[in-house]
Amino acid sequence: MTSRGTPSRFLKSVLQNGVGRYVCQLKRLSLVFSKDSANSLGVREFIEDGVVDFARQNPGIVVYVAPEKCSIPKIVAEYLNGTVKEEPVNRKTSEEIRQLIKKLSDQSGLEVIRIRKPFHTDSPSIQGQWHPFVNRSPSLRVQRFVKEKSELESS
Amino acid sequence: MTMASFTKAAQQWATFCRSWYVIDATMQPPGKIASICSVHLQGKHKPIYHALSDCGDHVVVLNTKHIAFSGNKWEQKVYSSHTGYPGGFKQVTAAQLHLKDPTAIIKLAVYGMLPRNLLRRTMMQRLHIFPDDNIPEDIIKNITEELPQPRIVPKRLNEYTQEEKESFPRLWTMPEDYRIK
Repeated sequence: MTSRGTPSRFLKSVLQNGVGRYVCQLKRLSLVFSKDSANSLGVREFIEDGVVDFARQNPGIVVYVAPEKCSIPKIVAEYLNGTVKEEPVNRKTSEEIRQLIKKLSDQSGLEVIRIRKPFHTDSPSIQGQWHPFVNRSPSLRVQRFVKEKSELESS
Repeated sequence: MTMASFTKAAQQWATFCRSWYVIDATMQPPGKIASICSVHLQGKHKPIYHALSDCGDHVVVLNTKHIAFSGNKWEQKVYSSHTGYPGGFKQVTAAQLHLKDPTAIIKLAVYGMLPRNLLRRTMMQRLHIFPDDNIPEDIIKNITEELPQPRIVPKRLNEYTQEEKESFPRLWTMPEDYRIK
């Protein structure tokens, strides 16, 4: 498939274009699992090992642990922009779930699609970004470019 | 200018802000004026230029009443249009068109030099053409730079003072009784 047909957008950020500070965009995380099914074994292990540590390290994220009768355990992530992501964690190990939760908490909640103009540099300019007054004479700021009527009459 | 002197947000606005340029068309060829305008309207003079980002500037053209065609173009150059009705094909020479509307020649020349895309009309709206140098105050306030004219404006004989005329070097001095035909 050509890249024209796929959804795309310009690089966008919830951080006001890199001007604001970092705010974790994940606000709520629910672990839905079954108390006794074998599919939920990994989730139950993760709840024993790591969920308390994760909640302590991320005070901005509310973590719910919801034991329900379900055949497929899932992780529901809710973001500040209203996005709700459901990830099935069927037969996943405790380590895989830890990595998945780490990934969800790092994401912004914007859908993952092709980015237009994905330009990037590892060595940004030390001179600073260009703007229209770079290398222009400061005298231009006070100059009047069109003669006033009084000047025209006198000359 | 160092980065520390203004915030990142102001830097971002400054990079993408629109500048206003002015160019005086007195005794200038319309094609040369139009190609300068076309570059600045598209933003091709900027290091941040990209075809998809609408980064063009405003251009103010003054004194289009006094443009100068070279050669026999005032009589020979023909501007054609069609009204859409049968027999509605109109042709006027540059001189006739200029008498009717002194801004039309520059406008048509710039319009022809802009790329044929959806931004073309938007860029034309950022072109401000004035037949003389009577410009609204709010436009004058915006102008940040004057673009150099492509041709040197020739000085007319009546613009020289009497002293300058007399001090001009001569090959020979006229006798008192010399009769000028």
